[in-house]
Amino acid sequence: MKSLTRGHLKAGFDSVRRAKWRNFWTMLGIIIGVASVITTVSIGEGVKQQVSDQITRSGKNLITVRPGTLRSAEAQNGGNINVLSGLSITGSLLPDDIAAVENTKGVSSSAPLAAISATVRADQGRYQGGMVIGTTSDLPALLNRSLAQGVFLIDDDEGMNVAVLGAAAAESMFDVSVPLGYTFTINGEEFIVRGIFEDFGNTPLSDQANYNSSIFIPYDVSQQLTKNTAVIYEILAKTNDTKVVDSTVTSLQKSLQRVHGGQDNFSVLGPDETIASRNSILNLLTGLVSGVAAISLLVGGIGIMNVMLVSVTERMHEIGIRKAIGATNRQILSQFMIESSLLSVSGGIIGVAVAFVLNGLMRFFTNLRPVISWEIVLIAFGVSLVVGIVFGSIPALKAARKDPIEALRIQ
Amino acid sequence: MALIELKEVSKVYGFGDASTLALDEATLKIEKGEFVAIMGPSGSGKSTLMNVIGLLDRPSHGSFMLDGRAVSKLRPNQAAKARRDTIGFIFQSFNLLPRLSVLENVALPLAYKGLTLSRRMKQASNMLERVGIQEREYFLPNQLSGGQLQCAAIARALVNNPKLIIADEPTGNLDSAASRLVMELLAEIHKTGNTVLFVTHNPELTRYATRVVYMHDGCIIHDEKTALGQVAATARKVLYTLSTTSEDDDLAGVSALMMALPNKPVARPDKKTVKRRPAKPTVRRKTKAPKKNKAGK
Repeated sequence: MKSLTRGHLKAGFDSVRRAKWRNFWTMLGIIIGVASVITTVSIGEGVKQQVSDQITRSGKNLITVRPGTLRSAEAQNGGNINVLSGLSITGSLLPDDIAAVENTKGVSSSAPLAAISATVRADQGRYQGGMVIGTTSDLPALLNRSLAQGVFLIDDDEGMNVAVLGAAAAESMFDVSVPLGYTFTINGEEFIVRGIFEDFGNTPLSDQANYNSSIFIPYDVSQQLTKNTAVIYEILAKTNDTKVVDSTVTSLQKSLQRVHGGQDNFSVLGPDETIASRNSILNLLTGLVSGVAAISLLVGGIGIMNVMLVSVTERMHEIGIRKAIGATNRQILSQFMIESSLLSVSGGIIGVAVAFVLNGLMRFFTNLRPVISWEIVLIAFGVSLVVGIVFGSIPALKAARKDPIEALRIQ
Repeated sequence: MALIELKEVSKVYGFGDASTLALDEATLKIEKGEFVAIMGPSGSGKSTLMNVIGLLDRPSHGSFMLDGRAVSKLRPNQAAKARRDTIGFIFQSFNLLPRLSVLENVALPLAYKGLTLSRRMKQASNMLERVGIQEREYFLPNQLSGGQLQCAAIARALVNNPKLIIADEPTGNLDSAASRLVMELLAEIHKTGNTVLFVTHNPELTRYATRVVYMHDGCIIHDEKTALGQVAATARKVLYTLSTTSEDDDLAGVSALMMALPNKPVARPDKKTVKRRPAKPTVRRKTKAPKKNKAGK
């Protein structure tokens, strides 16, 4: 091995150094490949962490009831990529479900979230930035959020036209900074601003992102406004104790099944399942995107192979000379292998650096908080090295097997 | 024991009707310490003979003993190691790697032997001193004159202490002054006990040799010992070896040679099934630049 690498390492370095620009273009494929694999995976990881942070914030005892079945278990079972199974939503939640959830043993507080389509007019004209959500007084406690100004809806508000605004909604609807007591209209009916939520933060791929621009009104008012067509898209429930979460999920499932006439067209998700269902979709997306990125890594490898093939042809005379003065096939092979590995390794290093720069830029300019893990850096780097060795071996073999006389004859 | 022992060695290129016989049952024995000039017209098989002796090519038939070892059937890697350890090559076009410095070029065979960098550089530097261009060791080949380049190439050939030096027209691209320099250097190497084999078209250069071998159509047609410092008797008479190598001159030279030779059968009985080379050797003929050698110095 000593004689294999000694001298050829330098020979490899020399010839890489010689043609800087050509080698840069060669490495570009690997650079893009490595950078995009690392970036996509780190975005996925970052979003996952943000989502789980947010769920941790709202508490380990939060239970979410959703319409339809999120067959998260199926979507996660390895290898079987089925986009639709993770996303199929059938059925809906019924008004009766609200009472059923409330009365289930173990549930300490609960709130429905019903979206209505409505025309909102305020000082600044028509507001189209967000949803109008009908809910009940327990929501801030369930989300573990407090109000920046004013108070939230209380139980006595039933039937009253009061509203609580998300921070972004308040800002875009009114000129004043604290629009408490100001009025606006929903479908022509006048509402008074009762309170303003604190900033929910800006988390990608999460419902709470919308809350900033949402208008919260009492649930029964939302039903009156829409003549009982408001769609309940979620019911949040909380237990007093994190230990009873699992049993409460089971009893919720049973009581809701009764309401739905034995049909299983809803899902009750504990905190872990909420993460799991989000993660299953996220993993799928991350997998798809990094698959595409991996293909570019492969294409980068083929690029290296092509350049090395050209290089071998160009340097046939050199190969002939080296062989004539005593280079064995293995020594020629290792020279060219070292050269192509060097190309892919430096491509990999630059790719990792580019990924870190992109990471910084994303943290600065977007709400994404990508997380680059050492595992993915090592994997991407390792793959680029393997690609370089595999695709470099073909031209290197071609060089090594060349007949010395023929090689010498080529000028 | 002879250093080189060729027995009825043939080399056939191509297959079937397209095959050409580049080397036709050549038998040659060269002892240690000889300084052999090989002469002959273009396409006469000199280079093929050199390639076979230099282990760059395997003979199609016949046996070849190099330094007491049968080498006619060596695998490519074994041949490479044998080249590295026992043979030094000098080419007409120098064949130094253009991107390496002169020192690195000379050290290259040592790298393939597996020596450490410092020892490589030291030995290469010593060798450059011996050929007299040590002050140029960090120059790139394109910064050197032809004569200096050939000196560097000789240093590279010598750096492994090979038993045999093979030079394929070492002065072919040089003017007469540089030619003399290179030949003096080869003569010096010969004096230290090395065996030197060189191809030339210039009969004047046979004065350096102890033995001259003439080739035609792949056969060794004449072999004579000469005294050092004397131009070989036959070479003087052979006109084809003068400045041009055009085909007509070659043919004229051959007939002149035939007449010059005393009672030597030239044409071998045509008993082989393999097609003989046509009279006009168009297949493998190298086109050579007109020689600048002013033979009469």
